Amino acid sequence: MIRITDEPWRVMVEHAQRTYPTECCGAMLGRTLRASEAGSTVVGEGETDIREVVRAIPLENTYDGGQEDRYEIRPTDLLRVEREARAEGLTLLGIYHSHPDCGAYFSKTDLENSCPWYLFLVISIQKGVYAEANCFQPNADMTEAPPVPLELPASLTLTAKETV
Amino acid sequence: MTHISIPTPLRQFTNGLDSVAVEGATVGELLDALTAQFPGLKGHLFNDEGKLRSFVNVYLNDEDIRYLQKTASPVKDGDSITIIPSIAGGTSGFGAGRTGIARVKASVVGVSPSR
Repeated sequence: MIRITDEPWRVMVEHAQRTYPTECCGAMLGRTLRASEAGSTVVGEGETDIREVVRAIPLENTYDGGQEDRYEIRPTDLLRVEREARAEGLTLLGIYHSHPDCGAYFSKTDLENSCPWYLFLVISIQKGVYAEANCFQPNADMTEAPPVPLELPASLTLTAKETV
Repeated sequence: MTHISIPTPLRQFTNGLDSVAVEGATVGELLDALTAQFPGLKGHLFNDEGKLRSFVNVYLNDEDIRYLQKTASPVKDGDSITIIPSIAGGTSGFGAGRTGIARVKASVVGVSPSR
């Protein structure tokens, strides 16, 4: 399961809305907690760990072309984020990106250009406003990306629902 | 000796080490030494044909080895190797006739307010 705390969630949604109608992307930093110490009531079947996102770092979309339906992260930016995470005692848990005027699904393009090492949060922005988010993790062969149960901050979730 | 930085998700295969010192004359030799020492890494870095998986980038100091001599790039003492994945994506291809779309899940999954 992935839990996103208030501040990074705010950063990601604002980033996704600000860059609309193009796709945004960024990194999610945090830590992995045992379910017993995380105090969670939402644990998927077979899930024992909770990956808690405590910081989001917006990154530049470097895709060379139409960014309304594509994103790309510069590997050296990811390298910088890895080092930053390490310096702060955190872990690079995953990557987020937005889908302007599309659902929060993991597309074929997403799957083909991802990697199994990280979680991938997809944020749907409809007409410039947050609509929904889902999280996925590609399997080792990258043939599919099963959804990962997602826990969002309560207040911001309500705000998002009101704006749909 | 050359130090290879290990991305966080792969440290579970290196006994938690974030950097591993190995010996070799080329990047390929270093990666072979790394996976010999930590066999669990092999499938994450290489495909069945023994080539680096498509999303795996290897940097020799600050240079992508694709723009050097790939795995034949020579290394010297004090160089550093970093492994970083390629990440990209997007909605492009939605509704495309030939390949379609891997529509995994379109609804909110397990969303619940935190306490």
